[in-house]
Amino acid sequence: MEYQKAAELNGLCNGKILTVDSKKVAVQHKNEISRKEAEDESRLPALEAAYTTILRGLGENTDRQGLLKTPLRAAKAMQFLTKGYHETIYDVLNDAIFDEDHEELVIVKDIDMFSLCEHHLVPFFGKVHIGYLPSKKVVGLSKLARIVEIYSRRLQVQERLTKQIAMAISEALQPVSVAVVIEAAHMCMVMRGVQKMNSRTVTSAMLGVFREDPKAREEFLALTKGAQ
Amino acid sequence: MERSKQKQINQNENSAINGHFDGRVKIPGWSAGGAAGTPSTAPSSSVMESWREERTRSLEDNEMSLPSIAAAYTSILRGLGEDPQRQGLLKTPWRAATAMQFFTKGYQEKIIDVLNDAIFDEDHDEMVIVKDIDMFSMCEHHLVPIFGRVHIGYLPNKRVLGLSKLARIVEIYSRRLQVQERLTKQIAVAITEALQPAGVGVVIEATHMCMVMRGVQKMNSKTVTSTMLGVFREDPKTRDEFLTLIRS
Repeated sequence: MEYQKAAELNGLCNGKILTVDSKKVAVQHKNEISRKEAEDESRLPALEAAYTTILRGLGENTDRQGLLKTPLRAAKAMQFLTKGYHETIYDVLNDAIFDEDHEELVIVKDIDMFSLCEHHLVPFFGKVHIGYLPSKKVVGLSKLARIVEIYSRRLQVQERLTKQIAMAISEALQPVSVAVVIEAAHMCMVMRGVQKMNSRTVTSAMLGVFREDPKAREEFLALTKGAQ
Repeated sequence: MERSKQKQINQNENSAINGHFDGRVKIPGWSAGGAAGTPSTAPSSSVMESWREERTRSLEDNEMSLPSIAAAYTSILRGLGEDPQRQGLLKTPWRAATAMQFFTKGYQEKIIDVLNDAIFDEDHDEMVIVKDIDMFSMCEHHLVPIFGRVHIGYLPNKRVLGLSKLARIVEIYSRRLQVQERLTKQIAVAITEALQPAGVGVVIEATHMCMVMRGVQKMNSKTVTSTMLGVFREDPKTRDEFLTLIRS
């Protein structure tokens, strides 16, 4: 599997470029967070000013009642929608890995996911299905959803998001294999551009046994399709 | 259900409604007797307001403001901690600026241009409904999308409107920075102004991303607003028929 250079992936910024092993690249460098929560407040004024410029550029009257506090609200909303930059998976996972003698498939499905398209800054949202075959170590179930949150609340591309989730689980648990399937609707296709209301984009990442053994993959896909 | 008399939209606060900019108001060439041989029920001044809620932003305006909007997006990307120079984000400010201009393209269009020729004299006085019109708008408070469906019904008074024009009216008013209540009213008032029908009913059912993606984060919540004018407001049976037909 080829990974892009570290600098090409979201999460590393502020001008720093790190050279890391190709396999590790998709997972956040251990202690590297690209945005600290404490800095958010201090960055608000600049974001607000930018949003005011945008509103004026669109021809709106920024003094009308409905728009008075919109730059502030929009700036805070945007910071919330990209809060995944605050966190690393190690903060979220460290304590919830348990030794359990279980080697059967574990699936958490229909995890609602909301992200932002990095090309148009417009939301895309959908469901994530995660399955893994533990190798003596299981993870708290909500931690899978938290991993999804960390990586989805960023400026993303659906392909990269899928891979990042799969790699994160792989790194943290060293399971026999991991499978992640994401099915999402992209507002950049629905609200503008081609304007196809009902189109959905499906991406998947299979690591380990799921990639090699078609029967295991089938079992995973059958279990996630059922009762949707 | 208590309903107040149709409110006078406050003339003094030009800036209160989207469609006004620095108090400049474009008054379109339409006058009360404009279309061919219409019965002259001069619209009351409060209803006339809807025609004032138009602003023509031209394509040249779009081009000229694009660089400053793109620069604003670049600073937003930096402010969020991203690197605007990485491959995926290189052209994002331009794409996002163009996308935002597309999402507010309702400011570029006037009702008159869209409607003028498609009003026909037809001896029909039964309800006409166009339902499940997909609608996409932008929340004016958070600049996050709103999407849903619009159902429109009207009782013509000898004049009918081309059906796609109802959808075009929805497009003009929804592709703006909106509040769902105001959007519903603007659509209803525009149809009333254009056709002088016996009654108009507009129901909008929408999902607000500002509630789903952030804030309270309630995935399945929907907001429903409606505006009933004329006979739809006064006669409960007509209203019932309309609401039943849009449910089925």
